[in-house]
Amino acid sequence: MENFELLRNVTIGQYIPTGSVIHRLDPRAKLLGSLFLILAISFNKSLVANIIMLVTVLIIARLSRISFSFILRGIILGLPVLVFIFVMQFIFSGRVEPPGQIYFQWGWFRITRYSMWLIGLSLMRITSFIFLTSLITMTATITELTHGLESLLSPFRRFGVPAHELALINTIALRFVPTLAEEMERIMKAQASRGADIGTRKIWRPDKAAREFLPLIVPLFIGALQRAEELVWAMEARCYVGGSHRTKFVQIKSTRKDYVVVLLALLYFLVMTFVPWPPVREIAARLGWPGL
Amino acid sequence: MEPIILVEDLHHTYNPDSSNPVQALAGIDLEIYPGEYVVIVGHNGSGKSTLARHLNALLAPTEGDVWVKQWNTRDLSHLVDIRSTVGMVFQNPDNQIVATVVEEDVAFGPENLAVPYEEIVRRVDWSLERVDMLDHRHRAPHLLSGGQKQRVCIAGILAMKPEVLVLDESTAMLDPLGRKEVLETVSRLNREEGTTVVAITHFMHEAIHADRVLVMAEGRIVLEGAPREVFRQAERLHELQLGVPQVTQLAQALHKRFPSFPNDLLTIDEFVQALRERVPAGATNPVTGLAARELPGPLHSPSDGQRLHHDRTGAKLIQAEHLVHYYLRGTPLAVKAIDDINIDVHRGEIIGIIGHTGSGKSTAIQHFNGLLRPHGGKMIVMGQDLSDPKADVKSIRRQVGLVFQQPEAQLFERYVGDDVAFGPRKLKLSREEIRERVRKAMESVGLGFEEFKDRMTFTLSGGEMRRAALAGVLALEPQVLVLDEPTAGMDPRGREQLLSHILALHDEGTTLVLISHNMEELARVCDHLYVISGGRTVMDGAPAEVFGQVDELRRLGLDVPQITAVMNALAEEHLVQVPETIFTVPQAAAALEGVLHGKL
Repeated sequence: MENFELLRNVTIGQYIPTGSVIHRLDPRAKLLGSLFLILAISFNKSLVANIIMLVTVLIIARLSRISFSFILRGIILGLPVLVFIFVMQFIFSGRVEPPGQIYFQWGWFRITRYSMWLIGLSLMRITSFIFLTSLITMTATITELTHGLESLLSPFRRFGVPAHELALINTIALRFVPTLAEEMERIMKAQASRGADIGTRKIWRPDKAAREFLPLIVPLFIGALQRAEELVWAMEARCYVGGSHRTKFVQIKSTRKDYVVVLLALLYFLVMTFVPWPPVREIAARLGWPGL
Repeated sequence: MEPIILVEDLHHTYNPDSSNPVQALAGIDLEIYPGEYVVIVGHNGSGKSTLARHLNALLAPTEGDVWVKQWNTRDLSHLVDIRSTVGMVFQNPDNQIVATVVEEDVAFGPENLAVPYEEIVRRVDWSLERVDMLDHRHRAPHLLSGGQKQRVCIAGILAMKPEVLVLDESTAMLDPLGRKEVLETVSRLNREEGTTVVAITHFMHEAIHADRVLVMAEGRIVLEGAPREVFRQAERLHELQLGVPQVTQLAQALHKRFPSFPNDLLTIDEFVQALRERVPAGATNPVTGLAARELPGPLHSPSDGQRLHHDRTGAKLIQAEHLVHYYLRGTPLAVKAIDDINIDVHRGEIIGIIGHTGSGKSTAIQHFNGLLRPHGGKMIVMGQDLSDPKADVKSIRRQVGLVFQQPEAQLFERYVGDDVAFGPRKLKLSREEIRERVRKAMESVGLGFEEFKDRMTFTLSGGEMRRAALAGVLALEPQVLVLDEPTAGMDPRGREQLLSHILALHDEGTTLVLISHNMEELARVCDHLYVISGGRTVMDGAPAEVFGQVDELRRLGLDVPQITAVMNALAEEHLVQVPETIFTVPQAAAALEGVLHGKL
């Protein structure tokens, strides 16, 4: 019955204080830096560049002094998505032209050099993304990130971006995650005590499966709505009227190191994107490796 | 002196234009003066929370006026002035905290008031210090205890520098320790900072230290005065079903027998003093020949006489031996939640379990119906060993019903009848049998089947909802019923009602396990008590045995029934010698009658 413990398997979003160099960066530097890395990964179609970038991400993980195995748990959570993408690409990308060399063909279905390349590329990209996003939340508290985001967005306020409101919504949502998780656990246990069997659903009857969830979802929503209403009273009682005339208690300060990190990340993005990376085949040929 | 809040002929009606208007306030006149400590008492539905929300303009009057200093609460241009003058703390601390770090939450109010940065920092320090939470300033609120969270909420209000602090049932959801923390904090603020306090509660005993008590019923103020004057009107309070402290009840019982004995004693010290004045010092007065079991005993059933020497002869239904359980086992965050729990439940008993929040008692009872499996030790329920992976957990859950705290939060169907029928339907019983079980379950908690089965769940009152949820478990017809804080957060009237339904189940043969913070309740009804502290069972025995060890319980930070504390204080002063532990008002009254006899 250990499956009542909801918080065990979620490593994404958990702050792991190791006090590393990465941890000590300004959250804005962390956000901007990872933004450039993510852009670099998204725009690059070269297999070689993607391998280099995955290695870069792993080096950053090393620097943060968080164990790989712990970060990999985050991948377990994303595993269904990874498998789904793999299967879809495996089945359909064989038809994408030009196929290049055809390794295997069976009627409509085929495995081509291009489809293999596509699958390798997307798996590598997704792994890098998961590592990077996990790293952000593991090395910065949610609060730091929210303040960082608010500060980064505030110049856009004049164009109508509600920077403060977004940050507040974010904070409140995160503030209630543990509260609602606890409540969910209690509701699950309470319904199990009334004879509900949670976890024995038939996948081929989604209508029934959905009904099985009602005893959990309905109380959770009612509870959340009641909380929301009380929160509104409490915020009003504390004179909250919106973002424009507020002062700020949290002040974030950047050091030179933070600027350097952002500049390096920008440089990295430019290099990775604009250097004409040779295809793997060419490198292999130059190194005298046969085949491929 | 000018009042800081002035309420004139205030009426409030919810949904005035609908077909179903509800009048919550029907003409309130009230003045609150600077520096006062005012307590407003009343049942759920008496209008006290509605009144509170008028004091800082969260609601606008339907009729009449509310003035805060020179501002009328109808005047929207002074909303910020009013709300920063009158700060308000609500019932559930979880629903008031907006930030993920304590100090940032405290800063939320001043930020809204556009206080400059340096001043916010000063105010955050100052208000966290006032509520004694400076050490926790960088922590996440969800890691704090209920009392600590509520103190953070108070700090969040203090940082706005209000002159009046309104507490809207701010202690109702806390355990006794948390309640004490909050009350002490508030009365210190009142004393040392001169903050005006308006505290709303349904517990009379929180009113003892107030300057003024207002009792509300049906949207009106029905009694008003200094605590002593109000508490003296025992009959009227009894009509309103507001419980007075046990020590006051005892004084009133003695006053009836000996009219010269005062009927308005509020604290244990006052009681001891009153007795000392009437019983010559030095002359010890053993309560001889009055073994407690011959005194009028605990109140509920004919077998009470034996309750003090109860033989545990029934078959063992639940047996926990050296039980161990970890949370988040196998992660870096693993914690040992319970360490060495030893509890037996025999057929036909009423077992009480005592312990602080976080002592591991909730974890322990989740083993009783197989929600949790033991990580060490032995756990045998209804003859099945839970360490055996093949144990039939489903049949255990049918036989042992577990009712969680605030069970009303588990209701999910639109109609009450359907919700109660959830369990029986899962058992795949016939239509007639389901109907029969639902009828029986609902009626045993006082919800008439025909009247309530087609009522919408959300239209029930709080107390009815809780009883409906209890019926949902009873419909499985369990042999053992385990209840975690069944009466928590209810007003005294609701408490008594629910308790009497639960005890009626016992009379029909259900074995009961009660977890409660209310020592008076446990002393009154239980056969056997277990005390849990730090994940271990540290004491057990009949109520008389357990509550006899006053010093040991105090060392664990637990209370004894107030009457036991009174008798203990009297014994310490050598005013009486009591052969056995006494923990109910009638027992104590009978014992003290013997002492006072001939002296008055």
